[in-house]
Amino acid sequence: MNIVTTRFGEIDIDESKIIDMRGGVLGFEHLKKYVLHMDDNNPFWWFQSLDDGTIAFVVINPYSAKADYEPMISDNDVKLLEIEESGDVVLLAIVTIRQNPFSVSVNLRAPLVINAKKKIAKQIILEDVTYPVQYYLTAMRTVNGVEDSERRDNCEATAP
Amino acid sequence: MLILTRKLGESITVGDDIKITFLEAKGKQVKLGIEAPPHIAIHREEIYRLIREQNIQAVKAASMEKVALAGVWDGLKNLLSKDRKRP
Repeated sequence: MNIVTTRFGEIDIDESKIIDMRGGVLGFEHLKKYVLHMDDNNPFWWFQSLDDGTIAFVVINPYSAKADYEPMISDNDVKLLEIEESGDVVLLAIVTIRQNPFSVSVNLRAPLVINAKKKIAKQIILEDVTYPVQYYLTAMRTVNGVEDSERRDNCEATAP
Repeated sequence: MLILTRKLGESITVGDDIKITFLEAKGKQVKLGIEAPPHIAIHREEIYRLIREQNIQAVKAASMEKVALAGVWDGLKNLLSKDRKRP
C-alpha cells in the first residue's frame, strides 16, 4: 500500500510490517496503524502513523538509554498483546527532542510494547515511579570525572 | 460530572463491564477497587494526563525533516564526548 507522509513523501508500505496499536498512543487514540522506520546508522527511529501521514514519533530502544531497564508488563497486557514468548516482545521508548537549548529525553515510564510476531502493540504506563517520563540523554549540568552512564542517571528528570 | 454518595463496600457501575467499589477510607485517602475487562486502561488521572501531554510534545518536537534526525544523533554524540574530555 502507498501512503503520503510529511517527512518521507509518498512511501510504499510492506503490509506485513504494519503494527496494530491496540488502544493507540495516549492522546492519539484514533491512530491505530503504524510502521517502524529503522536506520542502521542511528539509534533514533521513526514510528510512522499510517492513518495520518503527518504524525510520526521518534523512538529508541530504551535499553540504549538505560541498560538495566526492567519494565513490568502486567498479565492483562500480556493477554491483550497475545504474547506467547518473551522473545516476541520489542520495546520502544518515545523520544522528545527540544531545541534552544538542545535536549533529548526518553519516556521510560510509558514505553511502547510490541508483539513483534503478531504485530500488535500498546503504550503501557508503568507503575514504577523510578522510571521518569523525561529521562534526559543530554547533560543538563556538567559533572567532572563521572562515568558516562552514571552521569546520565544523575540527569534523570524526576517526574512530578 | 455525576456525583454519587456511597457507603463503605458499595459500588458504582460504568457501562456493562466496569465496576468501581469503595473499599476503605483513611483520612483524606480513599481506596477504590476497579473491575474492568483487560482492554480498558485504568490509570491515576494525573499520570494519564502527564503521559498524554508528553506524547503530544514529542510529536510536535518530531515535526522536523528526516535528515535532521541524523543531526540529533551527531549532536548528542558531540555533547557526550565533550563532557568526557573535561578534566
